[in-house]
Amino acid sequence: MAESALHITVDHDRCVGSRMCVQIAPRTFALDENGQSIVIDPGGDPRASILEAAENCPTMAISVVDPQSGCVLFPPSSG
Amino acid sequence: MIAIDDDLLAPSVLADPYSYYGRLREHDPVHWNGRWGGWLLTRYDDVLHALRSPEEYSSDRMASLMIELNEAEKDRFHLLIDYFSKWLVFTDPPYHTRVRNLVNKAFTPANVERLRPHVRQIVTELLDRVADKGAMEFISEFAFHLPVIVISEYMGVPVEDREQVKEWSDETGRIFFIRANEPDRRERSQRGLEHLLEYFAPLIRDRRVHPRDDLITALVQAEERGDLLSEDELLATCTVLIFAGHETTTNLLANGLLAFSRFRDQWDRLRENPGMIKTAVEELLRYDGPVLATFRAAKRDLTVGDKQVRQGDRILLVLGAANHDPAKFADPDRLDIARWPNPHVAFGQGIHVCLGAPLARLEAQEAFLALTQRFPNLRVPDQPLEYHPTIVSRALTRLYAEW
Repeated sequence: MAESALHITVDHDRCVGSRMCVQIAPRTFALDENGQSIVIDPGGDPRASILEAAENCPTMAISVVDPQSGCVLFPPSSG
Repeated sequence: MIAIDDDLLAPSVLADPYSYYGRLREHDPVHWNGRWGGWLLTRYDDVLHALRSPEEYSSDRMASLMIELNEAEKDRFHLLIDYFSKWLVFTDPPYHTRVRNLVNKAFTPANVERLRPHVRQIVTELLDRVADKGAMEFISEFAFHLPVIVISEYMGVPVEDREQVKEWSDETGRIFFIRANEPDRRERSQRGLEHLLEYFAPLIRDRRVHPRDDLITALVQAEERGDLLSEDELLATCTVLIFAGHETTTNLLANGLLAFSRFRDQWDRLRENPGMIKTAVEELLRYDGPVLATFRAAKRDLTVGDKQVRQGDRILLVLGAANHDPAKFADPDRLDIARWPNPHVAFGQGIHVCLGAPLARLEAQEAFLALTQRFPNLRVPDQPLEYHPTIVSRALTRLYAEW
């Protein structure tokens, strides 16, 4: 594998079950029994799709970190 | 079992829906309202489940309207039916998924955040106009203008047309918000919609030739890229966005100010700790949000609590009651601007969660930051409070403030 899987977390205090992430990156995200998003495979979709899923979350519940560099790819730092 | 009056527009319910729906939640949380002809859900867990389960709870409002109309009326109101059936709020997947995905990008928190300096400037200018007066009617002099300016600019509606577009938008909404027995509400709604469609059609044509940095252009380009939105869908989406961007945020601001006047300590707390603005606005949304209830219809037979709901039954999800459910929120009738997590359902949840929520949050954050800092002694004097007679919104007619 060319790049290691991203470190993805979904904050369930924020997730409202909009399903945007599930539609954009369906092999990475799925719904749990409460209708909230969970990560089923952090390498399930191309990086660009995972980042697009994070960006489209209406409550910014998804954060994405590159485990190799430690860089936070989403959300963008405020300021 | 206590007797529960089913008149949802009774003066006592309009004045204090939280007590009325609180009694329902306590005594009959899945209640058949014979007068309205549908179920009322008031428990947090039931409302949340319904919002997150579009497979069980349909948003297709037009299906229920079609049942109310006879053939002649269907003919007469074909324009309303055609366009409302393409409004995101009234549609189910797969249509909803396709259109929502197209417009979602423009309303993500990160994209909306870029508007913050501009929204701050609009707030400052609006408050400049009234600062020396020492008093204002908060709705007509402030809360009305802020969302109109912000959504109009964002969409690309020229300044000089704003008030007119707002008027047509309000007319269009009569079918949903005003008393069901208002005789000509469907005619007025259709005329309002006609005006909006006539207004947006040339704007859309213009943006095809002269693209700008606005939402109409973005929608036109999304359509041109993949032929994903038809001309009618594009028009319908413009009208629903302008409609949804207007009244609700006005009510969030007015209800918020009234809430602060009842919990003066929380106003002072925010004034001293402006860093609490984000949790404060979430709490204002929970405590007395602009949308009291939202409609669904059962997609199939359902068991809710101990009741059997039939396929096609109308269901009112009482968001305001869910937001005051003591099973979910400690001390729910108290305003606590530090409350977190605050999983309120003021914007709905699930696939229909309010598209404009990040914009509404931003506007409310900037408004209350500026108000607390600039008018620290602002107060809401004792006055008779009158709410518009609707079961879905929580809308004051006026609210005087002084400083």
